[in-house]
Amino acid sequence: MLKSGPSSGELGGSAPVAAARAGLEVANAQIFYDSHVEAVRDISFAVPPGQIVCLLGSNGAGKSTTLKAISGILFPEKGMLVSGSITYDGRRIDRVEADEVVRGGVVLVPEGRRLFINLTVEENLLVGGISRSAADRRAQLERVYDQFPELPEHRHRISGYLSGGQQQMVAIGRALMSNPTLLMLDEPSLGLAPKIVDSIFEAIVQLRSNDMSVLLVEQNAHLALSVADFGYVMERGRIVFDGSANDLMESPEIQEFYLGMNASKQRKSLRHVKHYKRRKRWLS
Amino acid sequence: MRTRTFKQTYGELTRLLPYSSSWTWYVALLAALIALPLVGPTYVSTFVLLILSAAVGAIGLNIVTGSAGLISLGHAGFLAIGAYTTAILTTDYGFDLIPTLVIAGLVSAASSLLVGIPSLRLKGLYLAITTLAFSIIVTQLIVEAEWLTGGSIGKAVTRTTVFGYPVRSTISIYYIALGVLVLTIFGALNLLRSRVGRAWMAIRDYDTAARMMGINLVQYKLFAFAVSAFLTGVAGGLSALYVRYINIDGFTLIVSVEAVAMILVGGLGSVRGAILGAIIITILPDVSRWLMNTMFRSVFVLPAANSQEIKGIIYAVMIILFLRYEPDGLAARWAVIKRFWSEWPLGKARG
Repeated sequence: MLKSGPSSGELGGSAPVAAARAGLEVANAQIFYDSHVEAVRDISFAVPPGQIVCLLGSNGAGKSTTLKAISGILFPEKGMLVSGSITYDGRRIDRVEADEVVRGGVVLVPEGRRLFINLTVEENLLVGGISRSAADRRAQLERVYDQFPELPEHRHRISGYLSGGQQQMVAIGRALMSNPTLLMLDEPSLGLAPKIVDSIFEAIVQLRSNDMSVLLVEQNAHLALSVADFGYVMERGRIVFDGSANDLMESPEIQEFYLGMNASKQRKSLRHVKHYKRRKRWLS
Repeated sequence: MRTRTFKQTYGELTRLLPYSSSWTWYVALLAALIALPLVGPTYVSTFVLLILSAAVGAIGLNIVTGSAGLISLGHAGFLAIGAYTTAILTTDYGFDLIPTLVIAGLVSAASSLLVGIPSLRLKGLYLAITTLAFSIIVTQLIVEAEWLTGGSIGKAVTRTTVFGYPVRSTISIYYIALGVLVLTIFGALNLLRSRVGRAWMAIRDYDTAARMMGINLVQYKLFAFAVSAFLTGVAGGLSALYVRYINIDGFTLIVSVEAVAMILVGGLGSVRGAILGAIIITILPDVSRWLMNTMFRSVFVLPAANSQEIKGIIYAVMIILFLRYEPDGLAARWAVIKRFWSEWPLGKARG
């Protein structure tokens, strides 16, 4: 099932593509925790410039681990990329420190936001721009406020007291402060009301228009595929499906296992879902 | 009505003091401190001198523990290094005091790498034990290096000059300590509201997220230890000046506990808190001894020989009370009182 991955020519439609850049390439990556727990097994995928690519999969599939490996923060959690490579714009980033990865243009918005809860909104944003010069930081701060018009009125509030949706905006804004070319989002819809999720995803789509690539990890497959150009489906540490977002949406397996739909595209009953989960376990 | 909430520009956010009227109060306080030795009794000046020196060290500890979230029980070691460096350079080699204090701070900062490097992998209790071990090693080395430090007998600080003029009186040392404290406050305030300060606070709040944002944990943690040790080393140098005679008994575990008590009582991560904590913890043992000896004289009299034990009990009680009733320390209480009066009569007291 695993094929060539997304290419800038066939996907993305209106998305502008920087021809000189290669984007993110993960090749045959194998990741272990604590030297003996295999979390990711021989996965390969690509995120070309200017595209939104999503990683789908259930809990424990290895999606977040993959993002952590790309952003260079596996080591504190006793994780290690034991084989394979991760390159960004042709340069290997799997052997460099996390701050160097950020300076290279790759930044992660972690699951659960992970804001610095004792700092104000503005201080959180300024921390996000720590790898930039003071002038860049201030200019980028204004751009983030333009991107999220709700934030300026809360700029001096302690971020720990904001609502979940506002915190997610701060988390994305904080990541944008480093002026990245690849933004990785880990479960941005987690714990948010549907209306807030819609506005967050609108913002994600807008980001792509600035020649920014987005790698989106999301359990809400329908939502992720609705904004993505290309998708990969992970299961137990491996990529088991890939294809353009439209292809994945139309795939009977994806509909059955990840979108919770039956053949006539109706939502399945709870009894059906349980039956399919058992079947999925048996198949895997 | 004046409020503390709304700041419209980047300049307002980064201003050192929020209101120009604040400058008036601080200048008045500084003037009072300058006038104190000239108009007040000597014992009061001596007491304030102790507070000034303690405040420099407390601000130093607050940077590494309060702002960067790295617990240290080894600051007695940095204090000892600063004090002995000052004693050796001024008395044995005739160095001028100002460069001596800078060198004392730098030697302390260099030694902080010994605990700073393990801190990259350690947190919480493990880091506290490591720093405590550092402090014990330092005192042991001082005892062993008898040819340099006087060993367990100690070392006298006999000759001190500033720009060639001898420093003999307590008043001269008082003004030096005041100048050092003012510089320390300005330096710490500027550092904490800068990129570096925000990075320290980010590491304290969530170090993995800080790493994700591009903060180099190695650099910033080591820098926090170095700045903290520098200030503590300078405080050690000042203490060597006024005690005139130093030995390792002055740098025991209780000194590290005293420093931790200062920042806990004052308020973690706040320069004002460190100063308030230094004031309270410095005066508290003497005030309590005086109270006990005057009010409960018929029950018991506390001899001066028991001062270390009394201090230990008082610090323990203070830490427990503050952790239970005001974990944010006196700085937070100060903010509540200030807000109440700035909004009075419309506001209400909030705890």
